[in-house]
Amino acid sequence: MIELRNLTKQFDRFTAVDSLNLTIETGEFFGLLGPNGAGKTTTIGLLSTLLLPTRGEIRIDGKVLNRKTPELKQQISVITQEYSMRQDMNMDEIMEYQGRLYFMPLKKIRARTEELLEFAGLLEFRRRSVRKLSGGMKRKLMVCRALLTEPKILLLDEPTAGMDALSRRQMWNLLRKLNEQRLTILLTTHYMEEAQSLCGRVALMDKGKLEEVNTPEGLIEALGAYAVDEATAEGIESRFFKERESAISYLSGKTGRLSLRDTTLEDVFVERAGRHLT
Amino acid sequence: MGILAILWEKWTEFKRDFYKITLAAMVAPLMYLVVFGLGIQTISHGEPYLNFLIPGVVALTTMNGSFNAIAQNLNVQRLYEKAFDQVMISPTPLWQFVVGQVIGGSLRGLYAGTVILFLTLPVKTGLIFNGYSFFIMFLNGAVFSIIGVVVSFYAKNHADVPRFSNYVIMPMAYLCNTFFSTEQMPPGIREAVSFLPLSQTSGMLRTIASGGKGDVAGILILVGYLAVFGGLAFWFLYKKKNL
Repeated sequence: MIELRNLTKQFDRFTAVDSLNLTIETGEFFGLLGPNGAGKTTTIGLLSTLLLPTRGEIRIDGKVLNRKTPELKQQISVITQEYSMRQDMNMDEIMEYQGRLYFMPLKKIRARTEELLEFAGLLEFRRRSVRKLSGGMKRKLMVCRALLTEPKILLLDEPTAGMDALSRRQMWNLLRKLNEQRLTILLTTHYMEEAQSLCGRVALMDKGKLEEVNTPEGLIEALGAYAVDEATAEGIESRFFKERESAISYLSGKTGRLSLRDTTLEDVFVERAGRHLT
Repeated sequence: MGILAILWEKWTEFKRDFYKITLAAMVAPLMYLVVFGLGIQTISHGEPYLNFLIPGVVALTTMNGSFNAIAQNLNVQRLYEKAFDQVMISPTPLWQFVVGQVIGGSLRGLYAGTVILFLTLPVKTGLIFNGYSFFIMFLNGAVFSIIGVVVSFYAKNHADVPRFSNYVIMPMAYLCNTFFSTEQMPPGIREAVSFLPLSQTSGMLRTIASGGKGDVAGILILVGYLAVFGGLAFWFLYKKKNL
């Protein structure tokens, strides 16, 4: 279980994360959503100890996490938003270095590397240096590296950024499988479809503060499960209805280009970003 | 053990860039030896200037070899590649990371110094380089490796490390008992420069090379530098809130 207690991070006078209180249960797939500058990446930075909190603390299974707790850090793997790899190393070296930093036996490092690179379709490029990899390949390699150490907690900061649609779906399937094996996953993403498809619960953040924690279904339900899109001179305007009958009744009284559909998490995000979060 | 992981990383880098590293370690010191030692043949302190010069050049080569192996590399890993993030995230204790860097950097300095000694072998100088000399070279490398770690941590951008090299490392290379004795400096400056680590290393290597014994005070001064900069590095890694 991950507990964030009154977690606050300030950079000079700017408060990036403001008194964040959050509990993520073991085995949960949790999403951290919010507009740019909401404090999601800073929260991941604090959870990975790259940043230290100004106030508050993070507990993992009741123990306070900091830079001097290798037994807790051993359980965590992070996929950062930026490519965080030595450019001059090849894939095998990247994996071996990671394994050594996590005190894995060499035999196990080599076996897991083989298995993961094959799974990610990277085996034939294993001798290629990171500098010569495409963005998608680098992203996949980062996933392989994160999984090499068999973590209990996986922190993902926009893990599918820069991936093509097929690779993104493959990644989703992989993450689902991992979560089924009781891996706790904390995900930040700008793809609402991704969060809706994967996360059991999501937290909405803005300006460093936690706005709401709910299931994607709960958030959609609160807005209205049915959406009517209407094409206007300004663009598409959406109205939300709790019941299908109400949406149909609204449609029947209107003329023009209208369509009825299910509300998505993206609608929730856009509505909040428009009304509350900004 | 985390130290071994860091040493493995350094070894991988050394293997890959062996020729570049070796050549880079050789060129400047060789020029100094050829120009100042063989080209301009003078007598200094009652013996050929080359005999005075070689221990100084070996000392500055270990300094450059160690500092360059750590500072620029770590700076790039921290600010540009972000590869250092993975070390911070990993369970490898951060003190082990620092120790690994220092040992790795010292070995690189020692290697560079040994290459220069090897190149001067054909010149029959009669200078003595023994196990004690290599220990001093290693210790000097350790001091400049830890300085490299600290500089790379405090650097705000890629230009900061070369800037530090220009303002601190290069003047030290010329002034610290390498090309001429600090005894010839004006009082005040002489004492300040003599206290710098490279002056101590040059002096100790020179004393051993001419058959004398190494100075314990010199070793203590080097260990003192190691401790101070080590403390700064640990403070940064364990206490700095924004890396």
